Amino acid sequence: MCAAESMFDADVIVIGSGGGGAVAAKELGEAGLKVLVLEAGAWYGNKHWANPNSEHGGDWSSDYKDLDIGIYKKVFNSYENNMNDVVSGTFRFGPADRRRTPWHRIMRQKGDIWQASGVGGTTQHYWSQSPRAFPQAIDQVWPLSYRELIPYYEKAEATLPVQFSPTTPKEELFYYGAKKAGWQLNPTLNVTTPGYRPNPNAILPPNDRLMDPGCSLEELSDMEGCTLRGNCVNGCASGPSVDRIAKRSTLVSYVPLALKTGNVAIRPNSFVIKVLTSHDPKEGLRATGVQFRDTWTGEIGELTARTVIMAAGCIETPRLWLNSSLPFNEWVGRGLTNHCFDWVGGVFEEKELMRIMGLPEVYPYVGHTSGARVDIPGTGIFQVSCLSPGLMSFLTYGFSEAGYNALNPPEPGEPWNIRGRVVGPQLKELMRNYSRTMTMLLLTDDDTLYRNRVEVDPLLKDEHGPIPIVYYTPSPKTLKRRDQLARYASETLRQAGARQIIRSDTPFGFMLHLESTMRMGYVTDTNCEAFQVKRLFIADNSVHFNGIGGPNPTLTTQALATRTAEKIVAKYFS
Amino acid sequence: MHQAAAYAAAVPPHTYITFLALVEAIIPYTAACSAPGDVQSAGAVQFGVHEYLIWELDHNLSLWQGFYLTAVPLSAPTAELLNYGAAQFTALGYNQAPPCCAGRTGCPFADLHPADRIRVLSMLEQSDQLDLAPLPPPYRNDLGIVRYMIDFISRQTLFGNYSEWPAYGSTRLRVPTERRLECFPPGWSQVRYPGVVPGYRAFMGSVLTIERQGGGTSIVCS
Ligand SMILES: Cc1cc2nc3c(=O)[nH]c(=O)nc-3n(C[C@H](O)[C@H](O)[C@H](O)COP(=O)(O)OP(=O)(O)OC[C@H]3O[C@@H](n4cnc5c(N)ncnc54)[C@H](O)[C@@H]3O)c2cc1C
Ligand code: SF4
Repeated sequence: MCAAESMFDADVIVIGSGGGGAVAAKELGEAGLKVLVLEAGAWYGNKHWANPNSEHGGDWSSDYKDLDIGIYKKVFNSYENNMNDVVSGTFRFGPADRRRTPWHRIMRQKGDIWQASGVGGTTQHYWSQSPRAFPQAIDQVWPLSYRELIPYYEKAEATLPVQFSPTTPKEELFYYGAKKAGWQLNPTLNVTTPGYRPNPNAILPPNDRLMDPGCSLEELSDMEGCTLRGNCVNGCASGPSVDRIAKRSTLVSYVPLALKTGNVAIRPNSFVIKVLTSHDPKEGLRATGVQFRDTWTGEIGELTARTVIMAAGCIETPRLWLNSSLPFNEWVGRGLTNHCFDWVGGVFEEKELMRIMGLPEVYPYVGHTSGARVDIPGTGIFQVSCLSPGLMSFLTYGFSEAGYNALNPPEPGEPWNIRGRVVGPQLKELMRNYSRTMTMLLLTDDDTLYRNRVEVDPLLKDEHGPIPIVYYTPSPKTLKRRDQLARYASETLRQAGARQIIRSDTPFGFMLHLESTMRMGYVTDTNCEAFQVKRLFIADNSVHFNGIGGPNPTLTTQALATRTAEKIVAKYFS
Repeated sequence: MHQAAAYAAAVPPHTYITFLALVEAIIPYTAACSAPGDVQSAGAVQFGVHEYLIWELDHNLSLWQGFYLTAVPLSAPTAELLNYGAAQFTALGYNQAPPCCAGRTGCPFADLHPADRIRVLSMLEQSDQLDLAPLPPPYRNDLGIVRYMIDFISRQTLFGNYSEWPAYGSTRLRVPTERRLECFPPGWSQVRYPGVVPGYRAFMGSVLTIERQGGGTSIVCS
């Protein structure tokens, strides 16, 4: 190693500790590399940050023993407004200091970008569904094959770990409707034909004693295993220690494993504002480190490393590229996909539910937030997904591309009775039926279009530089598939006996599954290394070539990050 | 005066009345369908959701201006947006219901019948013909931002009402880390949500199970 090389602060710097970044950190730490992770948001459940939302706390943590379940559970209190308010909630995209405003993104359309900052990133409130991509969306489409991904899928699935969802009343009702609508059970992880199945979720199975009245639910929630408390979206708080929390956000899965390697240090409250580069006589332009801003003090720091991984998510990764003035590439920020969501709900009569399940309600607040699905390669997915009342009310009745149901009711003959926002006494009446309402999220096989993009505003800045602007308009084909999914989902609800069917016609700009803004093959090679900047890798959803056909994206990011870590070691450290 | 009341009293009356009229149109008081005092009759005004919206809009955005990060409160310009929309709506003769209190509030939006307030929201998010030049920033000549905001205030009214926020009572307008629950959330009572519990004994079996042995994966049907 030459003198200059030994002056680096680390082998690898990872920017962002969410769905992808935490995986890369753990894999590289296990390979013996010295890794520094910079995370913009807070760290919940670590002794160095006892009051993470009101005090600066420490700087770095690199010791597994720093994890603290008491602090974690104090923050993760499961109250939906406290946890999930996009402006002020624990899971907003913003600074740890909740007195301050969130970090802004400009959208000139209906909807919202639902990402979370903090160690664990958006997986803190994700529903942990971990399906593989549809093979037909990868083979002969991506610059690598589905078969090449399989060992990495298997490794990520075993590490999280992933298991099929247990049945609770809402899944029972979903299966009943799906079977009557003609869908067959599809017992596979590699989905090539349509059918229904429980969700492969990164959630620990229920504790064996869950149904034993001799063990109290309070005790159970401090033991290992899911207690079916239905709060995955509001942050899971069941488990005996941070690393054994039931729902496997990277905060509780990959981050503890990374710390256990003894090679990984994580600094929360550190927003990277620039990727540093230099010209190497042999390699050309190469990444050498980062500049970051402490979100509490505003101080700017610099760290150097032999390689840098961008894992700041689909908006901040391209923003950081643009704000760092890295070389022009017309695909940076382009090709945004989002599964063009829709949301369909059914209201059931008590007697119908009694007849089918022997139960008077759907109990939408019981069990995994999302526990079962119908996969339709080439079209997308519909999956039972039920939320606490505040979230459920706005997703079902509070926003819509279609405007207001009362002003623009559905055409006769449509499979839904209601389409669009509901207001007034009708809304109150529908919400009174909350516990007899089953809702479903629809994920569309979304076309990758150059026009859908993240760019930065020419004038408006925040403390981290020009702020992102996000544009997304689905293609006619995407919309056709989405409409087809809404019909399939409605049919399953009708077959299950729903009395009223509601289609939200979700705003296209409601973004949870952002992908493909730094596409492999355009911005990076198949190792996920940037074509134009050596030693700069990408390990978040942005590196996907497309929207993987509709399946929830994170497992694919985690498989790829596992593979990228292997490639980094092989190329630069062996 | 407790802290929430003091906060609300500091909001300009026009802004306050306009948001009150907004949330009332979306989630009204409905005396007819329940006994007096029944939790079902309460609407978003009774839960204070207009104050929630004002708080949310005033804690939503900061921009770097000159050398400093500066908070940009949005409740006042958003109230102006709604009132401007209502004035245009009335001038165009779109009203379909008699105004509820014409001229009494000083806010064109609040003067309208609740059903017409919803029509104003609909007009604002659809119309590309309205002249947006007289509006204050960030809405001036920016239909996209208008659309974003109409959508935001609509859904956020529901989230405020049916989440636990109203139960923060006198602490509801404090910074989020200082809010404390003072009762069971009334919106949750309305919908019969049991609240936050440690778990449910609701395990009904598994349709499929993944088994991992020696690195391989197999799937077992039950
Ligand atoms: C409510 C909800 C439910 C979801 N459910 C599922 C699901 O069930 N299954 C699924 O597959 N997907 C789900 N998703 C999507 C899932 O959360 C994302 O696919 C996943 O988190 C993406 O990982 P990522 O690494 O790309 O980004 P993120 O997880 O968002 O991580 C990016 C991290 O980088 C940090 N960061 C950003 N900028 C900087 C910077 N400049 N410097 C330092 N740090 C920075 C952020 O704070 C964040 O922690 C859900 C999303 C939402 C919102
Ligand atoms: S249902 Fe979700 S939140 Fe509840 S214990 Fe299981 S994983 Fe955790």
